[in-house]
Amino acid sequence: MSTRWYPLYQRGNPQLRVFLPNFWMKLVRSSVNQLPNVVQFHCSMEMTKHDIKNYLEKIYNIPVVEVKTRIAMGKFRKDVGKGYIVKDDDIKFAYVTLPKTMKFEFPNIFEKKKGDTEDDMKSLDEAKKSFKGFIQRNKDRSDVPSWFTI
Amino acid sequence: MQLLSVHRTFPRFKQLIFRGYSQAVQIQNEDYTDAPVYPPILDLSLPAKKLRTRQSLHKKIQNINTVEEKQIALNMPRYYGWQSIVLNENKIPFNAMPLVQHYTRTHFQLLDKLPDIYAESSATADIVLQEIKSCIEECIVTENEGVERNFVTSLNIPEKQQIADAHTRNIVKQINRIILNNLTDKVSHVLSSQVDYNPRHEAFWFVGGVQLPSTVLKWRKKQKYYKNRLHEPLDRPVQYKGSPLLTIRNHLPLKPIIPYSEIENPDFKVPKFSHCPKTVGYFTEFRHGTNIPGFWPGDFDEFGLLSFHGRGHILDRKDSFGQEDNLEALHCQAIQASFGWLLAQANYQGFTTFNDLTYPLVTQTVVTDGQMVSFYAYQLNTTVIHSDEVDINPKHNICFGTKPMKLYESIENGSVKGLNEDVLKMLIQFYLNAPEERDHEMKPYLGKEEQIIADIEDDNKRCWLESTYKHLVSNRPKHNLIPEVYDWEKIYKIQFNTRFYEARRRPFELDINPFQRRLDEHLPPYIPKVLRPYPKSKKKFETTYYPKV
Repeated sequence: MSTRWYPLYQRGNPQLRVFLPNFWMKLVRSSVNQLPNVVQFHCSMEMTKHDIKNYLEKIYNIPVVEVKTRIAMGKFRKDVGKGYIVKDDDIKFAYVTLPKTMKFEFPNIFEKKKGDTEDDMKSLDEAKKSFKGFIQRNKDRSDVPSWFTI
Repeated sequence: MQLLSVHRTFPRFKQLIFRGYSQAVQIQNEDYTDAPVYPPILDLSLPAKKLRTRQSLHKKIQNINTVEEKQIALNMPRYYGWQSIVLNENKIPFNAMPLVQHYTRTHFQLLDKLPDIYAESSATADIVLQEIKSCIEECIVTENEGVERNFVTSLNIPEKQQIADAHTRNIVKQINRIILNNLTDKVSHVLSSQVDYNPRHEAFWFVGGVQLPSTVLKWRKKQKYYKNRLHEPLDRPVQYKGSPLLTIRNHLPLKPIIPYSEIENPDFKVPKFSHCPKTVGYFTEFRHGTNIPGFWPGDFDEFGLLSFHGRGHILDRKDSFGQEDNLEALHCQAIQASFGWLLAQANYQGFTTFNDLTYPLVTQTVVTDGQMVSFYAYQLNTTVIHSDEVDINPKHNICFGTKPMKLYESIENGSVKGLNEDVLKMLIQFYLNAPEERDHEMKPYLGKEEQIIADIEDDNKRCWLESTYKHLVSNRPKHNLIPEVYDWEKIYKIQFNTRFYEARRRPFELDINPFQRRLDEHLPPYIPKVLRPYPKSKKKFETTYYPKV
């Protein structure tokens, strides 16, 4: 993805070939209870339905049955400190329908693995133990800061 | 009178007035019974109270005498119309079958041949088939190659679809003419039937068991009143709109395909579909609910026998949907169309979406493009699908259908190649299926003398109801538009209270929800003084006759 606009083509200039258009798609969790074969995306405002279909089919090999898009108005909010009302950017939503047999589940990105909690507890215990040792060592000089030590 | 009111000025005066006619209170013995009689014990919890109000509304609609008044009563709660989910005959989104089945409570069975009830007409159909075969072949050739017709297409529907349906309409008209002409002297019901071209079929009902729209949920979360009943079910109004190519109707109903005692059979499963209709691709529209089976109440021939539908909308579907989904779309079209037509007919018999059918109604549907023909037989057993009944109603509607079959292979050198006689025979069997008199009451929920408003004697009431009903079902836009909330108001008045110093005059500032306005919440027409009855009349406004529900 490129983040800059390609300059407008003028006659006489060398021909531009756009290999990296300003297209992006972001997979998001569905806001309403969607059918299992429907996937929801945020995407670049310039993308049309055909672009979205091609993007998914040609780059990711995803079979696409239908694409529906809508543009949601950005939220209005009061600017912190200034007090006036500002509007966030609009978002283009794409609802991509996959074949009936396919099922999409939103991945759990921050998944906790099996041993994760045990490791956490172990490190917490160690920290507690070392803190207790520190208190024990400095019990007769409680008014001395912690950095003033060997 | 003056004397009597003097006691207020002179408190002691009351004692002086002689009460000549007063008597001691008599004990009335009728108020007492030997055994104590108590009023029924009612559940006073909020959901039970709400349920009782709904049930009393359903009872009130049931007790209304005439068909048209019942239709007005269904629309009473909404001045600007119900926000209905629109099922359009010619717009079927991808994967719509589960939704359509739930919304019409229909069990669908795919068959290779017609149901068993058609076996008895098989022999007659064979004879008719041989007689009309050549005529049918000739008309197919003529319509496909012999005539060049100019169609005027409109811009709001895809052109391919319009041309295909117009072409089909001509072929269906011819085939219908040929079969009717042949059958007139063979079976009696054909002569007494009426044929309609492009009738208006509309049906309106409430569906339960659908998830709440996110807007409703968001609104409920803000209300204290909804604190513990956030997910209380909500009825969704549904409107079917369709226009068959041709229909045939009779004054008698068709025989049930399966007996009424068997309809509670749990084998007839209907899939539940609770997702928001928006996720499938169905959208809503504000409109008054209408039930119109192609004729007005009071028509003699009020039961449908057969309807022909075009399948031009398949041409407009995306290639990526695939053949399998196109087939399902045909089934959906047939289920919707059959249910919609029968429900509208049931409404003319006095049943509504709140008052269930007491007997089954049957129709036959043919979906065709002139070459591919699919047959459907539909039995309507229940019309009650609203949220109180959706989980407990044991009755289901049943649809039997076939796959699309080719009526002929091709047209070569001005003659039809490979006419499929089985398909033509099935079509003739649909025509031969004779309606018959039922031995039960057909209109239990309509009045004895007044069944339609034309029966009402009072001129004023009849004329008022007639014009109101016709205006309501025309769904013309209101003269005064719905109060609009402008964008700047939404931002600077509703979302952020930046204009607190301004007078509150707009409806949303006065806590008025225009969508909660009832149908009768308007000023009736004014009677000018010259037109008021002589000598003196204080009646400034004309009487309205809205049903009391």
